[in-house]
Amino acid sequence: MSYNINKFTKGSLWVAPSSLLFLCLSIVPLCMLLLFSFLSGNIGINGEMPGYTVNNFIKIFSSITFFKLMFKSVGIGLIVTLICIVFAYPAAWGIAKVAKPKNRNLLIMMVIIPFFTSQLLLIYSMMTILQAKGFLMLILGFLKIADPSTSILYTNTAVIIVLVYEYLPYMILCLYTSLEGINDNLIHASFSLGAGKVKTFINVIFPMSMPGLLSGILLVLVPVTGSFVEPILLGGPYGMMVGSLINSQFSIVLNMGYGATLSFVFLVIIIIIMAIIRMFITRAKYSIGGT
Amino acid sequence: MNRGFNNVIRIWMVFIYIILFLPIIVIVLMSFNKTNYGMLPYVFCLDWYTYLFTKSELFPATLLSLELAFSVTALATVLGTAAAVGLQYMSRQLSARFQSISQLPIIIPWLVQAISILLLLNFTGLGRSYIGMFLGNLIVVLPYVIMMVAGRFADADRTPEDAARMLGASQLRVFFDIILPMLFPGILSGALMSFMVCFNAFCMQYFLAPFGVRTLPMEIFTLIRTGYKPDINALATLLIIVTTIIVLALNKLKYSVKKMFGT
Repeated sequence: MSYNINKFTKGSLWVAPSSLLFLCLSIVPLCMLLLFSFLSGNIGINGEMPGYTVNNFIKIFSSITFFKLMFKSVGIGLIVTLICIVFAYPAAWGIAKVAKPKNRNLLIMMVIIPFFTSQLLLIYSMMTILQAKGFLMLILGFLKIADPSTSILYTNTAVIIVLVYEYLPYMILCLYTSLEGINDNLIHASFSLGAGKVKTFINVIFPMSMPGLLSGILLVLVPVTGSFVEPILLGGPYGMMVGSLINSQFSIVLNMGYGATLSFVFLVIIIIIMAIIRMFITRAKYSIGGT
Repeated sequence: MNRGFNNVIRIWMVFIYIILFLPIIVIVLMSFNKTNYGMLPYVFCLDWYTYLFTKSELFPATLLSLELAFSVTALATVLGTAAAVGLQYMSRQLSARFQSISQLPIIIPWLVQAISILLLLNFTGLGRSYIGMFLGNLIVVLPYVIMMVAGRFADADRTPEDAARMLGASQLRVFFDIILPMLFPGILSGALMSFMVCFNAFCMQYFLAPFGVRTLPMEIFTLIRTGYKPDINALATLLIIVTTIIVLALNKLKYSVKKMFGT
């Protein structure tokens, strides 16, 4: 018995270096964000702290800019998530159930390739497609839908299109893992018991895909709400999102104290959103009999 | 389901794959086009590739990104594997708790994660520095390695380990002769994955890189804003080929999407 306890303590020491890193580089910095939110200015080059003030919080809650942008960002997040679901659901179903099993691996790999490609390269390529006289505009011009010398680049629409494109693979992969796990016999049983296609979908397939759908929502909504690269590069003058506001405090205005406050309030809102989605995930798993 | 419905699904799949690959195909086509900026007429040429290898200004940034990705991956692989081994000695409950905490750096929006690390580094007087950038990238790839290796533990048959112990093999011998070879596919998947993630982790590098130093994603970000030369397409095409090879390798290693996206 004493041997076992000895082995137990010695063995778990292997976790120590990683634990230390997670503590020092993730948990502690996130907690200290609250402390830094009260700074009245920038931290000096050698770590000298400026004075403390509550003005940052007063500034956030008295001006509407932050909440307007936060509202807009969550809105864009919801639109992008919704479009991703509509695009991804039939495709994920197709990969999981319609395609031949031997092709499934290949199809999934093909989704992973854009997922692993640099975000900046994808944005850059989308910009050449969306630009005036670019690929998309030439086609639209040819079909006489739009003037090819104009462009939707530098509008909120462009930001949404690129975000949908970037996060579509996440949604497909999440939905695929859930849909693939549905036993075909369940679907056959539903049919032979007299349920139609719509009823089978609503009562069998959709509830079974809920955990994957919700984790897809989590993986799309959270990063999209916090995106700042896309609004900066594609958004134009009115394309600002909350991420670009936070970024500007660190790269343009250089007011780290206020930047920390913005990040902190943003983080709190995001954590609330994540907690709600997680709660739904647990409930969905419970209702289909998982653990 | 009937055939008509399945055909609609098939057509939809083709549409989705076209959307997914359109930007990638456009980049590849542009890299062989003599006319700049994705414009017509399309004239085939290899000039951008020769330009890339002779006078491109993208080279220092690419080299820095490669160095960063290799060094971060090396340390993350060792630490992540060690952590996954250590988890086996912990109670199931404690191990699950550790794993969910270890996911924190990839679940929290990277903007906030990067800014909080930057503030901490400023607080300690380190500021924007190579070591800061290294640590920032390390913390966002470490969860992936732990996930892949721990997943391998969960899948593997553990009886050879017990057999070896019973036959009198030392802890060290069991580790090197049985556990390590068993974990190898997981370790390699984790390493490949963390290499890709680190190479592309724009956000972490943007906030933590020393002033004036640019990694490849940062260089592309700057070039998009200030104007670029088409050799970027040639480089992008090569990167896409490397990505494809890595994805194929992951597939050979039985990299399972379920590990990453299953709930």
